[in-house]
Amino acid sequence: MTTSNRKALLISPELCIGCRGCQAACKSWNELPVQKTQNTGSMQNPPDISATTYTIIRFSEVPSDTNPVRSLFVSRRCMHCDDAGCMKICPAPGALFRTKEGAVAFNKEKCIGCKLCVAGCPFDVPRYDANNKIGKCDLCAGRIAEGLTPACAKTCPTGAITYGDRDGLLASAKKAGYAKVYGEADLGGLGALFAFKDAPLLYGMNEKPAIAESVLFWHTVLKPLAIIGLGGTIAGALVHYALIGPHKDEDEEVNKS
Amino acid sequence: MSDMVRKASVGEIINHWIMAISCILLIITGYAFVFKLEQVYAIFGSNTAMRVAHNWAGVIFTASLAATMFNYLQECLSFDADDWAWIKIGGGYLSRKPVKAPPMGKLNTGQKLYYLGILIAGAAIAVSGFSIWLMQGNRSLTLVSHLMHNLAFIFYVVGVPAHAYLGTLANPGTFRIMVYGTVPMEFARKKYPKWIKDMETKR
Repeated sequence: MTTSNRKALLISPELCIGCRGCQAACKSWNELPVQKTQNTGSMQNPPDISATTYTIIRFSEVPSDTNPVRSLFVSRRCMHCDDAGCMKICPAPGALFRTKEGAVAFNKEKCIGCKLCVAGCPFDVPRYDANNKIGKCDLCAGRIAEGLTPACAKTCPTGAITYGDRDGLLASAKKAGYAKVYGEADLGGLGALFAFKDAPLLYGMNEKPAIAESVLFWHTVLKPLAIIGLGGTIAGALVHYALIGPHKDEDEEVNKS
Repeated sequence: MSDMVRKASVGEIINHWIMAISCILLIITGYAFVFKLEQVYAIFGSNTAMRVAHNWAGVIFTASLAATMFNYLQECLSFDADDWAWIKIGGGYLSRKPVKAPPMGKLNTGQKLYYLGILIAGAAIAVSGFSIWLMQGNRSLTLVSHLMHNLAFIFYVVGVPAHAYLGTLANPGTFRIMVYGTVPMEFARKKYPKWIKDMETKR
């Protein structure tokens, strides 16, 4: 999608103070219940996103020689890929859909619970609720359709999560000195952009996120082949019947004459 | 009525119909999955209902496919020189002039190869299908199963319509086997000479 009105989030981990207001605002707006959590020995809580926790702040401690107490806070959620593996592999019409702002939204009623999107997602984002239906960040589809800001960005007190036109966010990150913005071109361009000071791997992000090769092979080769195969066989049978006709053998011919 | 010979037992006929109907249902819903065909989903009422139908049709198909092994597997694993000769002339299907086909047993070479293909691709499609359905949570396993399921699907969407054409329009007189299980003796002597000879010597 190259429409200029595509919206996105710009995440700047260096501005994040780890207050987790975004987590609370997300739960509040999306009316998601609390979930039982566990102490993992770090400040991260809950340990990961879930069908009732669409976004978390991921804490990682990365001590170095120059900075022995460096902590990184990275907002983790659906990336709203332009070329979305989940949408590609999903067999249920309407279960995952693209909003006009470019978000990957979902409809629980259309979801069939097959969990193929989990395998299709390069970022391990889709989660399933107790009714076996998908739950994930939809960029507050209801809010942004009304011109509002997603709950997480709205509540963020430091500007670590900002929302706006994707082109504008990219330009502002470049202007702020980030030569490379994570998500600028990956998977057709992500709907969540990250201004990283260091290598993405340090922030726990895949350097080269990609849809699984087997899914791409299926999409580009096997899907057309399924049509060509069936159509070709039916066409072949018709041509055979018209040109060659039903099976005859020599004996039959002898008997007739 | 002339002399009839029984080629398929009542059990075989019933099982073949179960397999044919479940297979066609699986192929139609399979296309609906691959291409997100809303019109096909709508027939089932809801998206989830079609998934349930596909999964349980898969169970029925798998069971009936397994049952066919008692009927056809032994026959389909026996090949001799006549089979090679049959392959060389393409079973006589590719010529407008009548072709003298080598003598065949109860099933011809093409049928035997088709059955083995259906059995192998069927095993692949069943195993991968149950994996996608029941063994969720392992990303690599799901991806491999998804690929395997779709590869075997291609074999089925080519093989099954070809089989249906060959069993009806292309070979007049054969479709009645799927209904009555019997064929006229004269027809059988021409089509399956080695099978008839075999039965007569055993008697």
